[in-house]
Amino acid sequence: MATLLETRDLKKHYQMGASIVRALDGVSLSVAQGEFVALLGTSGSGKSTLLNLIAGLDRPTEGSLQIFDRDLAQMSSEELSLHRRRNVGIIFQSFNLVPTMTARENITLAMMFAGVPRSERDAAARSLLDAVGLGGRQDHRPRELSGGEQQRVAIARALSNKPHLLLADEPTGNLDSHTSRDILGTLKNLNEREGKTIIIVTHDASLADTYASRTITLLDGVIIDERTPSRV
Amino acid sequence: MTFRDTLGLALRNLGEAKLRTSLTTLGVSIGIASLAGMVSLGVGLQDQFVARFTKSGLFDSITVTPGQDMPGGLATLARGGRRGFGANRRAQRTAPSPDATPLRSDLNDETVKELAALEGVREVYPNVRAPVEAKYGSDSEGLLAAGVPMTAKDEGAFQSITFGRFFSDDAAKECLLSLDMAKRIDPANPQNLIGKDLILIHAAPGNRGAALAPGDAGLSANASRVEEPYRIVGIIERETGPFGGSAAVSGLMIPLGRAKAIASATRALQQSLVPERASERTYNALIVKAKHAQAVQDIEDQIKKKGFSAFSLNDALQGAKRGFIILDIVLSLIGSIALAVSSLGIMNTMVMSILERTREIGIMKAIGGSDGDIRRIFLIEASAIGFFGGVTGVVLGWVVGRIINFGANVYIQNQGGTAGNLFSLPFWLIGGAIGFSVTISLLAGSYPAARAARLDPIRALRHD
Repeated sequence: MATLLETRDLKKHYQMGASIVRALDGVSLSVAQGEFVALLGTSGSGKSTLLNLIAGLDRPTEGSLQIFDRDLAQMSSEELSLHRRRNVGIIFQSFNLVPTMTARENITLAMMFAGVPRSERDAAARSLLDAVGLGGRQDHRPRELSGGEQQRVAIARALSNKPHLLLADEPTGNLDSHTSRDILGTLKNLNEREGKTIIIVTHDASLADTYASRTITLLDGVIIDERTPSRV
Repeated sequence: MTFRDTLGLALRNLGEAKLRTSLTTLGVSIGIASLAGMVSLGVGLQDQFVARFTKSGLFDSITVTPGQDMPGGLATLARGGRRGFGANRRAQRTAPSPDATPLRSDLNDETVKELAALEGVREVYPNVRAPVEAKYGSDSEGLLAAGVPMTAKDEGAFQSITFGRFFSDDAAKECLLSLDMAKRIDPANPQNLIGKDLILIHAAPGNRGAALAPGDAGLSANASRVEEPYRIVGIIERETGPFGGSAAVSGLMIPLGRAKAIASATRALQQSLVPERASERTYNALIVKAKHAQAVQDIEDQIKKKGFSAFSLNDALQGAKRGFIILDIVLSLIGSIALAVSSLGIMNTMVMSILERTREIGIMKAIGGSDGDIRRIFLIEASAIGFFGGVTGVVLGWVVGRIINFGANVYIQNQGGTAGNLFSLPFWLIGGAIGFSVTISLLAGSYPAARAARLDPIRALRHD
């Protein structure tokens, strides 16, 4: 399968007072289109930093990060926002929905930035909410929804601009085990049925083994293990 | 992101913080009300000033005086032409240069015809002030009765006669009074004076009915003192500007023909007493009326070239207008203090809003919002506050202006003055105030907006 993203010797260093924190210290990996990759690691291993770099929310200190044959490290701030708008959909552990907006408005906001006309936005938001099983709750604000429902809205929002790549940072971190399986099942469905490439960050190795087609384990900013789970 | 979407989002955000938005908008509206109120006061005063000038009919008038005897003193001194002690010495010191226009002082009926022939001139008449003693009942007062030509009927102050009517003809023994004058005679009911007779005591040719040739010293000994009743036919609200001296109105106005006769007799009397001044000019000044106010400057120049002194209110009005511009600027600056404070309020509101919405900004960036999108949202929020503040500020300023105007007019009328609009709110001021409010708000919002746009999305997303 075609390579969707490739990193070479990717580094991200932070200055913390007098010392330098090496959040990523030379990561080289490639992800093919249609893969479901889980980034595993303990807290501070650099997995979220890697995801943020792929999302275009942050810039690497060194190395290259090619997505669709374009190097994110060389992109301007405007190009990075275009990348986030068109190429990726991001799902967060804390859902990150705008609290003052309804489920539908949270989804249409992303489409608004992409310049989708109002009439199309409303129809698309409705069908996305239907697809994640929240058809009747489009006018509810986040505080009126459960954690699982909020994460579904976030998934619907991530899908709104039809990205090829879905990035999920601990998407089940704030959810119970039943809802977690539900959410990962939804992501797996998107991967298998719609061919979306998915990269999730998790510290739960068993969940990663269950749903991902490949797991990459990081420790102290470097890859220490990479394998394809053998499923029964 | 389209402008409409950005606007919708900005208004939605403002609606989410109603109290804060309302208070900030109120702050801006008070600032704009104070600014618009101050400027409208300046404009109102200017309008009143200009309107009084216009009403006085002096815009199209040029006062012509002898070349060596220009009122105002400066030119007189410069030319060394003043009569009196030391005149010869001054004349020697400031001898005119050979190429200078010879000065003329012949203000007589020939000059009237000469000036009337100039291009753009509608009419020329002498500015006659006849010295009289006015008597009503047991009271009397010495006055200079202004001679008013019949052509002035529909002009300036005579357009709206407060009570009564204009003269019936040039030789009628009729008079008009200014409202001030009428109030001096009958403070309670000045309008009751209409139809009553005012006794005028003045000089008259000894042989009444005989024409008195101007400057004819031979008849001077025949001048005598007469008492004649003049019917009060009208009262006008005297509307002279600060340059009333050249105005054709005074407290007492009589037909020009009558005034000429009295002035001529008076002159004859003076000449009989001081024969060496017998060759003096007939009139002290002539009034030249232009067909259009625009032609005034051109006519004024032509008259000056002939060697006379000429003065029009156009010059003075230009100076006064400059004065009003300065007044407007000063008033605007005073009004701007409140607006400056309210612009700090906008900045504070926007900065607070960014602090509160940091995470939301991070979310917007994460889902594809560009720095420009974020900046525009905040700029439109700020300008919307400015717009609404501007609109309510103009309304507030207008209401407060009306209230002050009402109070001031009650006071002015109680003091015997004329009510008027102290505040004027023309469309340009409404538009300008709202535009200024939006501009100031945009400026005040630009720093917070830039700060919001620069926010690091990862940090913003971690913000609690």
